[in-house]
Amino acid sequence: MKNFKLPDLGEGLPEAEIVEWHIKVGDAVEADQVLVSVETAKAIVEVPSPQAGTIAKLYGEPGDIIHTGEPLLAFEGAGDDTGTVVGELKSSGKGDGQGAQKDQFIVGAAASSKRARANRATPGVRALAERLGVSLETIKGSGPGGLITTDDVHKQASHQKQLGDAEPLRGTRRTMAKNMALSHAQVVPVSIFEDVDVGDWKKGTDTTMRLVQAIGKACDAVPELNCWFDGDNLSRQLLSEVHVGIAVDTPEGLFVPVLRDITHRNLKDLRKGLENLREAVATRKIPPKEMQGATITLSNFGTMTGQYANPIVSPPQVAIVGAGRIREKVVPYDGAATIRRILPLSLTFDHRAATGGEASRFLGALVDALQKAG
Amino acid sequence: MKEVHEFHVDSARYLDDHGKPLSELPPQAGNTDRVLAAYRNMVLTRTFDSKAIALQRTGKCGTYPSVLGHEVVGTAIGQGMAKSDVFVPYYRDQAAHILRGVSLRELLLYWGGDERGSAWQNCPEDLPISVPIATQCCHAVGVASAMKIRDQLRAVVCCIGDGGTSKGDFLESINLAGAWHLPVVFVVINNQWAISTPRSLQSSAETVAQKAISAGLPGHIVDGNDYFATVEALDAALERAHGGKGATVIEAVTYRLGDHTTADDATRYRTAEDLKRAWEKDGIKRLQNWLHDSGHWSPDKEKALQADCKQAVEKAVEEYLATEAEPPTAMLDYLFETLPAALQPQRELIANKYRGGAA
Amino acid sequence: MSAAERSNETRDVTLVEAVNMALHRAMEDDENVVVLGEDIATNGGVFRATVGLKEAFGFKRVMDTPLAENLIAGTAIGMATQGLKPVAEFQFMGFIYAGMEQIVSHAARMRNRTRGRLHCPLVFRAPFGGGIHAPEHHSESTEALFAHIPGLRVVIPSSPQRAYGLLLAAIRNPDPVIFLEPKRIYRAVTQSVEDNGEALPLDTCFTLREGDDVTLITWGACVMETLQAADKLAEQGVSCEVIDVATVSPLDRETLLCSVAKTGRAVIIHEACRNGGVGAEVAASIAEAAFLDLQAPVVRVTGYDTVMPYYRNEQYYLPQGEDIVTAVEQVIAL
Repeated sequence: MKNFKLPDLGEGLPEAEIVEWHIKVGDAVEADQVLVSVETAKAIVEVPSPQAGTIAKLYGEPGDIIHTGEPLLAFEGAGDDTGTVVGELKSSGKGDGQGAQKDQFIVGAAASSKRARANRATPGVRALAERLGVSLETIKGSGPGGLITTDDVHKQASHQKQLGDAEPLRGTRRTMAKNMALSHAQVVPVSIFEDVDVGDWKKGTDTTMRLVQAIGKACDAVPELNCWFDGDNLSRQLLSEVHVGIAVDTPEGLFVPVLRDITHRNLKDLRKGLENLREAVATRKIPPKEMQGATITLSNFGTMTGQYANPIVSPPQVAIVGAGRIREKVVPYDGAATIRRILPLSLTFDHRAATGGEASRFLGALVDALQKAG
Repeated sequence: MKEVHEFHVDSARYLDDHGKPLSELPPQAGNTDRVLAAYRNMVLTRTFDSKAIALQRTGKCGTYPSVLGHEVVGTAIGQGMAKSDVFVPYYRDQAAHILRGVSLRELLLYWGGDERGSAWQNCPEDLPISVPIATQCCHAVGVASAMKIRDQLRAVVCCIGDGGTSKGDFLESINLAGAWHLPVVFVVINNQWAISTPRSLQSSAETVAQKAISAGLPGHIVDGNDYFATVEALDAALERAHGGKGATVIEAVTYRLGDHTTADDATRYRTAEDLKRAWEKDGIKRLQNWLHDSGHWSPDKEKALQADCKQAVEKAVEEYLATEAEPPTAMLDYLFETLPAALQPQRELIANKYRGGAA
Repeated sequence: MSAAERSNETRDVTLVEAVNMALHRAMEDDENVVVLGEDIATNGGVFRATVGLKEAFGFKRVMDTPLAENLIAGTAIGMATQGLKPVAEFQFMGFIYAGMEQIVSHAARMRNRTRGRLHCPLVFRAPFGGGIHAPEHHSESTEALFAHIPGLRVVIPSSPQRAYGLLLAAIRNPDPVIFLEPKRIYRAVTQSVEDNGEALPLDTCFTLREGDDVTLITWGACVMETLQAADKLAEQGVSCEVIDVATVSPLDRETLLCSVAKTGRAVIIHEACRNGGVGAEVAASIAEAAFLDLQAPVVRVTGYDTVMPYYRNEQYYLPQGEDIVTAVEQVIAL
């Protein structure tokens, strides 16, 4: 409601008596329409409406005295609530028919900004990266606060050039990489090579079988190479049983199943055992247990290319026998140049654990055992 | 013209300077245990006070405001308050603090520059010592408002010096206490000095108590060295507050027998005669004499009490001196409930800079 | 109606109505929340921010105080130490100065100086800023004074939704918050806000618009001019990221640095005068931590280092949209 106060009726008259209302509550009036007759000390005066509007309330009856400035009547409509006590507040003009929008904002930084901060580099470094075709997101900055430096970019660039798209190693390849590095870090390898004349072997001899048997004989002769060596504590365990790890190359990678206790088993047993192992590896049904506990390893790469090698000794073992492909060679035999079938033999041993003499004697024993007819 | 209101300010005193009753004593005098407990607290307070000054003089404590002369008022406050009431002190309320449960060690820690001196274990809701003059009065009416809003039968006692009553905070607060009918007792400890400004220069009002009239509150004067007058007024005001009858202003007239603080030299602005006269009115001596005359005290008891107090103070001093300072990172650890991310780097900086200094 | 029973009404509200909505909500949810100030109960506040509260919650929790700002601040502190959560109003920021001692010497350090024994979970609200043709002293923008005080949070909403969410957060926060409401936009914008009692995070900036070429950093009523300037610049092909700081202290530097890492250019806009304004802290922070990301100096668009003129010359003082556009054009050209 909006009050209409009795205006100053002239000559400083402080009050007036209501004589007659000319309108009533609910009436719609126009500006200047006469609302009420009031009597002052001097005369009866008619009071006109200051605005158009609807009468909401009358503040007196005929006979009541109203003072100048006091409310006379009230109009309906928007109140005189300015909603402030100083100045004026601009309104948004609510109720224009359109529903108000919901607020739009992201809490904190935009994702694109977070990314920008994560890969921070000076403009010069950015330009270099672009030129070399390096994505900043692949680099962890080595500068202060993770800043990517010129060196970081160069490193990543050459890395990308060498390897193309780097493929992370998995499974047996990964294991191999780790084990080889471990061996390299610990073992002091020395290799001795020999040729073995296997011309007297019967037809159809199983090379791997002969090699395994020969290893058994050599371990008998020189037990020092059938042991477990502890490089940290500088101790070794000479072992009574010989468990030969047989390196098998498969499409899935290198497997080394263990043929157990070879010196106490007969030939038939050994053969069966070897066949079982081969099958198990081929069908990938070999349990991890079967690949533990070897005391010496045989790497027979005779079905592949290569004569001699210095294969990797696998701690805690101290020796590994390598055998290449049997081939015909021209060798002196009974005083004359003869073509004989020759097996190239390699022995790598860990010189921390065994002496050159021991290794040499071991190799000699291997050769003796292998050169026999069968 | 006709008189529309008349106001009175009364003043109470029961013992003369030597402890002899001037009139019939209030009922509190009959509670011998309570009176003896009061005396013991006053002696303990004074013993502690001397020691604290000595610690400052030997570089073991920072600037310290002596409570010498306030022992009676502080004790009356401490005794009158219920445990669930809240005490809002200024900075010369050691006697009241001790009865409220603040340990001597905590008092020493505060003046010894360690914030843990305000982490009071035994009176967790009491407000800490207030240095900005009179600001505590507003807190007091805030606390009292909370009690009223929650319909609790608790009260607040707020202390302030004569100088503080010149400040707006005091006037605004007693006004609110009146307007909102709050359960608060304002105790103005008029010890005649605001550092070097004597009471006569502080205000031309004949009494400080009459400022209560402007707030529509009752104002009473008591001899602040008279234990019976003081404790009677406190008990009555607290009963009023607990009973929902509203606030009171008590002006306890006493004398600051020590310097403003250990950094002040009062001989610069007051005479030896003035001080001597004030010592003749000492409240502890007065009560001691009365206890003696009433057969409740003896030189042997006095000797034993002095020894007890000395021991208690020495123990506290030992504990205080043995307390290691907080690590530097404590500077940030109590600023907010959880340290904002924006301040983490600064905390790390502090921790690294003072390696071994991070908690 | 319990908090569980009430349904979460969605209403179209202006900023000041959103403040009112948040106060109602906070008082319903927690009986410890009380409101005090001058003319806030019967009159509902001079800007109607507290309208309806006394009728809903009674005179014990909605208190008209005597005319004494220092007392209002100190009383709120005392209440807070007793576990109430007072929301005290200073009728205008221009009158908060009488309460500075209480705010700085006590509210800001109560927790610290009692080692957590006592603390002040209170909110000091005040309408702030100019542009409403008011008499002198009614147009203050001195948020920097409070931003400089350790132990205080200074929060400034710039939309109805953020006023609702941030005020709820401020009331629920266990430490003191100075909540400054930009009165120039009290009624300038209407948004659809759900009364769901959900607070927005404090100590966090809000990214209002994503862009790549320049970061516009602002708060309060200037958000309006900044968004308008961003629109104009978009027409010129300049893509602006607009960030509403919201919590002026403690400052969310991380969000600002992320944005500058992306755009390389920063323009700060605030109504308060230049010297020692919060913009200086923002600029220094960016220079310290993002210097290498910058392609142009950090520029500030602010009020002048003088007293806000009487309203006839108000518009010369307040940063206008074209001032922001000009500043951006300058940094883009570099």
